[in-house]
Amino acid sequence: MRYAKWVFWGVFWTIILGFLHYTLPQHDVARITETDVRRITPGENRLFWAQADIGSDSSVADRDVFFISAVLTNGRVMVYRNEDTGWSWPPYFKFDSANLHAEAGDLRSTAAAPQWVVIKHYGWRAEFLTIFPNAISVRAVDSPDVRIIPWLNIIILTTLAAFFWGIYARWRRWRKRRADPMVDDIL
Amino acid sequence: MAALVRLIIGGILLTIVYVALSMYSRAVRRGKLEADWNVQGRPGSMEDFVSKGLKEYEGSLRRKLILLVYIVPISVVTTIVYLTNYS
Repeated sequence: MRYAKWVFWGVFWTIILGFLHYTLPQHDVARITETDVRRITPGENRLFWAQADIGSDSSVADRDVFFISAVLTNGRVMVYRNEDTGWSWPPYFKFDSANLHAEAGDLRSTAAAPQWVVIKHYGWRAEFLTIFPNAISVRAVDSPDVRIIPWLNIIILTTLAAFFWGIYARWRRWRKRRADPMVDDIL
Repeated sequence: MAALVRLIIGGILLTIVYVALSMYSRAVRRGKLEADWNVQGRPGSMEDFVSKGLKEYEGSLRRKLILLVYIVPISVVTTIVYLTNYS
C-alpha cells in the first residue's frame, strides 16, 4: 500500500512538472546557423506539433513548417520549429511565425564571427519522437554570458503555488472540522 | 470564421461566469443584510431593510468589480498577442 502511494504521487508530480516544463517559456542563448522550411506530416507525435496557420486549410495531413537550426553556447546543436500557436494551447497567441523566420534568417552567423541571440521557446527536443521546441522570439545579444531572469515564470509559478496552497489549506481545514469528526462518529 | 465562433463561445462562457458571480454576490449581500437587520435590533420590517440595502449594493463599486470577469481575460489576451507578435 505504501508503494502504491509513492507510485501515485510520483506519477502525479511527474505529470504536473512535465506539463509545466513543456509549456512555460524558456530561454536559450545560441547562434543561429540556418533557417529553413520542411514538409512535415505529424503522426503519433501529433500532440507535440501545432496546427496549420490561422486562416489556412487545416484538413490536409501534411504542411510546411519553418525551422531554426542553432548551436548553443556549450557547442551542442538545437533545432527549433517555428509554428503559429494561434488561439489554441499553449496560450502564446503566436501568429507571426513568418516574421520570426525573417528575423531569425537575418541573425544567422558562423562559428568564426558569432552573433549570439536569446531564443525564447517552449517545448522539448526529443529525437525519438521527432519533436522540436517551438521558438517564440529571438533577440540579438552582445555576449553569450547574458543574464536572463525568468520574470514570467516566477510570476506564474508563484501564482499557481499560492492558488493551490489556498485550496489545499481550505481542504485540510474542512477535513479537520467536518470529515474527521464524522468518520470518528462512525467508527 | 473559426475565430469568430471561438470569440462567441468565449463570450458565452464569460457571460455564464458573470451571471453566476452576480447572483452569488447578491445572495451573499442579502444574507449579510439579514444578519445586519438582526444585529441592529430589527428596525422596521426585514423586507424593507434588505431591499433598501440591495438597492445601495446595486450602485456600489463592489458590484461593478464583477465586470473584471470580462476585462481581465480580454486585456490579458490582448497583452500577450501584442507582446508575442508586435514587440
